[in-house]
Amino acid sequence: MSYYLVTIAVYFAVDAMACVALNLQFGVAGVINFGFILFQATGAYVAAVLSLPKDTAHNGFQQYVLGLHLPFPYPWLAAILVSGLLALPIGLVVLRRLRNDLQAISLIVTSVIATLIVTNSTPFLNGAAGVALVPAPFAGHMSPTGTPYEWLYIGVAFACAVLVLLFATRLTYSPYGRTLRAIRENEDAAGALGKHVYARKVVIFVVGGALGGLSGAVLVGYIGFWAPSAWLYPETIILVAAIIVGGRGNHLGAVLGALLVPLGFEEVTRFIPQFGTSGLTPAIEWVVIGSLILGFLWFRPRGVIPETRRVFGPTRDG
Amino acid sequence: MSLDRPVTVSSSSPGAKAPGILNTTALRRGFEGVHAADDVSISVRPGRITGLIGPNGAGKSTVLAMLAGTLAPESGRIHFEGSDITSMPAYRRARIGLVRTFQMSAEFARLTVLENLLAASQMNRGDSLFGALLGRRYWGADEDRLVAEARALLSRFGMTAKESDYAGDLSGGQKRLVEVMRALMLHPRMLLLDEPMAGVHPNVVHEIADCLESLRDGGLTILLVEHELPIVERLCDPVIVMAQGRVIGEGTLSTLRLQPEILEAYLVG
Repeated sequence: MSYYLVTIAVYFAVDAMACVALNLQFGVAGVINFGFILFQATGAYVAAVLSLPKDTAHNGFQQYVLGLHLPFPYPWLAAILVSGLLALPIGLVVLRRLRNDLQAISLIVTSVIATLIVTNSTPFLNGAAGVALVPAPFAGHMSPTGTPYEWLYIGVAFACAVLVLLFATRLTYSPYGRTLRAIRENEDAAGALGKHVYARKVVIFVVGGALGGLSGAVLVGYIGFWAPSAWLYPETIILVAAIIVGGRGNHLGAVLGALLVPLGFEEVTRFIPQFGTSGLTPAIEWVVIGSLILGFLWFRPRGVIPETRRVFGPTRDG
Repeated sequence: MSLDRPVTVSSSSPGAKAPGILNTTALRRGFEGVHAADDVSISVRPGRITGLIGPNGAGKSTVLAMLAGTLAPESGRIHFEGSDITSMPAYRRARIGLVRTFQMSAEFARLTVLENLLAASQMNRGDSLFGALLGRRYWGADEDRLVAEARALLSRFGMTAKESDYAGDLSGGQKRLVEVMRALMLHPRMLLLDEPMAGVHPNVVHEIADCLESLRDGGLTILLVEHELPIVERLCDPVIVMAQGRVIGEGTLSTLRLQPEILEAYLVG
């Protein structure tokens, strides 16, 4: 199978997971997490340094912490756990007293700070060069270069994406999800009805962070490399654009958004011939993504697949 | 994971022994040097609709916000059913039965009317992270019971036909009714209503007034901030009058009308 198509399939599964996780926070609960990419990055780094052997193993050409050389699935499980744990203190601080717009700004700043820390502390995660040669998760069972491995990886990645989708759907279409949507609509009113708004927002921030961590682990397990250039703050904007285009609050919309924006849009632009000065095409891509967000917010604010209206059938006792 | 703590209240201060279901002692709150509420001591008797009136800027909404827990007083105490709730956060006050509505419509716009009511309930096992993950088998019975309860309220208030409409698409008066019904889903001991007739069509004003009367007759205590004096006269006994952050009188509206200082401050001003 073509390497390009396999890569597209894995990226789609990863983007779908990330979009659904962010949609739980942003689309369902109204938490504008402009620092989401930090949690995907955390998952990727954790999975990488737990899968890699000690950093002295390859003649010390790269430096990183841990290097425990753990087999699958431990690095992925740890990626989920650590990303969720990282979200906890950030959520506790940022979501407590700030207005929603200031929360969004604080989270984007947190993401930028994290990038700068990792970039400038080489012994931690090998700085700007990033960690490479991350072992393929199932390499112990089959050759990681053949078609069977590619199919296996696509299968596992899609299974993870489906599990994330089912998890998020189960939460959203429950009384708990209804309370999150109420908080999204009017925090003060939800608080006046006895809902602990702050606690609910922190919990969904942690849950979304953990799911984001899984998406990072799946990605790094395939590409075998992770560096600060892969998780600069604009990456979150692309995911936000995907959710706005797909349909805020609707997880199928988020999956569609993942297909249309981070995957579809970025892949389509590969086939546009380069023109003008170097860097002009990527700059135009950003202009188009910004226009896409504005256009949808203006003309179709609910996205391609809007959040569905909940209609209740007759009750057993009524 | 839950950041909730158990509701703990003390009952040692003098306000605890006052006769009302809700008592305040010398509440004070200022904004940038202006006393929005100054030495406010009121007592709300159970099973009545107590009016809280006054000109714009009198401090009514400030007092209501302090009672609801969305604004902290600089000094003074608040007692509810004998317990000191001065430092209790808003969401916990709602859980012990002190429930407010807002001056501006505060419906959950992209939830249906029925969902607005269901969102208020505290008694659903699916309203926790782990309960939700356990699935409908775990919380379905609670949900069915609450849907039936919410539908009974919708029927009582003549809103059955609007059950599946988005609350944001309702008229101003219907939104007010949804807010009241939503509060009732909490089985409150007392309602704090902040101008529930504001921006409502005159025909609907009387429907809301009928509804408040029926709630009072059912034993519910209500503190009503309101500008429409005919409505206040019809519903409220007693009426507390505020001006410039202070309480300047209390009684029936007809007796208050005879007091020159109140006439000067509000009634004919």
